[in-house]
Amino acid sequence: METRRQGLPLFTAICFLIGTLVVIQLWLLAAALEAALSAERSALLPVTLASLALFLVNAGLLWYVVDFDRRLRREGVDG
Amino acid sequence: MSRDPDAGTPRWRLDFPIRWDDDQYVTRRELAKFLTLGSALLVGATGAVSLLLRPTRRPGPELRIAAAASIPPGGTVLFRYPTEADPCILLRLGDGRLAAYSQVCTHLSCAVVHEPGGDDLHCPCHQGWFSGADGRPFAGPPTRRLPRILLEERAGDVYAVGIEV
Repeated sequence: METRRQGLPLFTAICFLIGTLVVIQLWLLAAALEAALSAERSALLPVTLASLALFLVNAGLLWYVVDFDRRLRREGVDG
Repeated sequence: MSRDPDAGTPRWRLDFPIRWDDDQYVTRRELAKFLTLGSALLVGATGAVSLLLRPTRRPGPELRIAAAASIPPGGTVLFRYPTEADPCILLRLGDGRLAAYSQVCTHLSCAVVHEPGGDDLHCPCHQGWFSGADGRPFAGPPTRRLPRILLEERAGDVYAVGIEV
């Protein structure tokens, strides 16, 4: 139960971080739309790659959450 | 005789036996999954915008606009393309190149005009400015570039042959 008690603020922090990165991704989507409509082709690839990089960071953080949870279950704490 | 494990627990706790820290643990774990799914969707949307909203070239009817030699640097010719309802402007830039664009401002559809003494196009309604070199907006409210008319020069004449949106 102690590990889970530590997990709650950890998950809260990770949720904030992922949420912040998602907001940045939203901004990148708006920038891509703006660039596409004004035919700024040179900006499209970097914007897409940046969004992909942020997603990979998010996926890594989620993997950490899932792995943390799996370890807890192995230790016998159900949830 | 065993001790009652609920002894000393308030009655409301017995009726409502939810551990909030456990509940929050699970909901935050699920929120992290949900946000990451949203992140994946945003990558897909950004990629789709990059792939699908590229400028497209549409061939159109061939229309003779003017004799190339009749347009001096800084000079313009107004014409309509591809239909009579589509006003366009042909201009010779300072470096001698010819460029043609739709005259309809991408902001609120006023007619853009050439600004004498330079290569730029100006929309007088809301002070929008477009580059004559590539039709991109660089000042004022417009955010989209002007549709470009594709040109060909043959036997000294300038022809409109398509449109790039």
